[in-house]
Amino acid sequence: MKPDTLDRTWIGLVALSGCSAIIAEVLGIGLDGRLTGAAILILALMKTRLILAHYLGLSAAASWRRGFNLSLALFCLLLLGLYILPAVIS
Amino acid sequence: MKDKEAPPALDELPGELLIWVLIISELLVFGVGLAAFMAVRLTDPAGFAEAQNELHRTAAALNTIVLVSSGYLAARALRLRGASRRGAARLALVAAAALGVVFLVIKGAEYADKAAKGITYETHPFFTFYYLLTGFHAAHVVAGILILLLIAWRDEPRNIEAGAAFWHLVDLIWVLLFPVIYLLA
Repeated sequence: MKPDTLDRTWIGLVALSGCSAIIAEVLGIGLDGRLTGAAILILALMKTRLILAHYLGLSAAASWRRGFNLSLALFCLLLLGLYILPAVIS
Repeated sequence: MKDKEAPPALDELPGELLIWVLIISELLVFGVGLAAFMAVRLTDPAGFAEAQNELHRTAAALNTIVLVSSGYLAARALRLRGASRRGAARLALVAAAALGVVFLVIKGAEYADKAAKGITYETHPFFTFYYLLTGFHAAHVVAGILILLLIAWRDEPRNIEAGAAFWHLVDLIWVLLFPVIYLLA
């Protein structure tokens, strides 16, 4: 049976969560914190986009989906800014 | 006089308007909590990183997979109900609730581990936020499980749509909370 949108969304979310788990495991090996921080937040943002579009049905409400995506992207940028600030000012 | 029509933008939203008011409100509450967590971290980045190392990141990542899988089952239930497959829809909702219980068991093991190490909300500001945000989220999971079971029983399509939307909200909050609390060292 061919996977539908919901199946593909679930596979995408599990794959993104797996990537988060891998990053969680390699956090201690001395990678640049700014890069890992950005990667972690991008993965989170991608997961929220999938949930909003396909679990909550915003794929059928383009303007709302854009509004949510933009707000969450700005929120993640704020978090990233707060995350890298100590490294920038030290 | 003709009744004022709802703006088209609101008509676009799937499901009940009130559930979206709830979703936006909850995202704002948790968003402020997470931003406050990151702001307080500025006062002691090293202490926050040290405290975070006490958390079990892999278990939390596993919990993410558990929760998104549970969300999948809730979303699938709505489609099954739409196709008049009531039995399969109910089964999917009960399975979604069961995965919610799995999430709480893993979370409970995590809290028990912290308690065994003598870590409380007073140990460090990191743990104050950790218990506050993950505890508040866990309370939403408990409410969500009850709602999933309720809509498996009273399985009108609009009930399933609203209940599943609440469950996706719980999912949405976790995918934002997990990286900030567990990964951004």
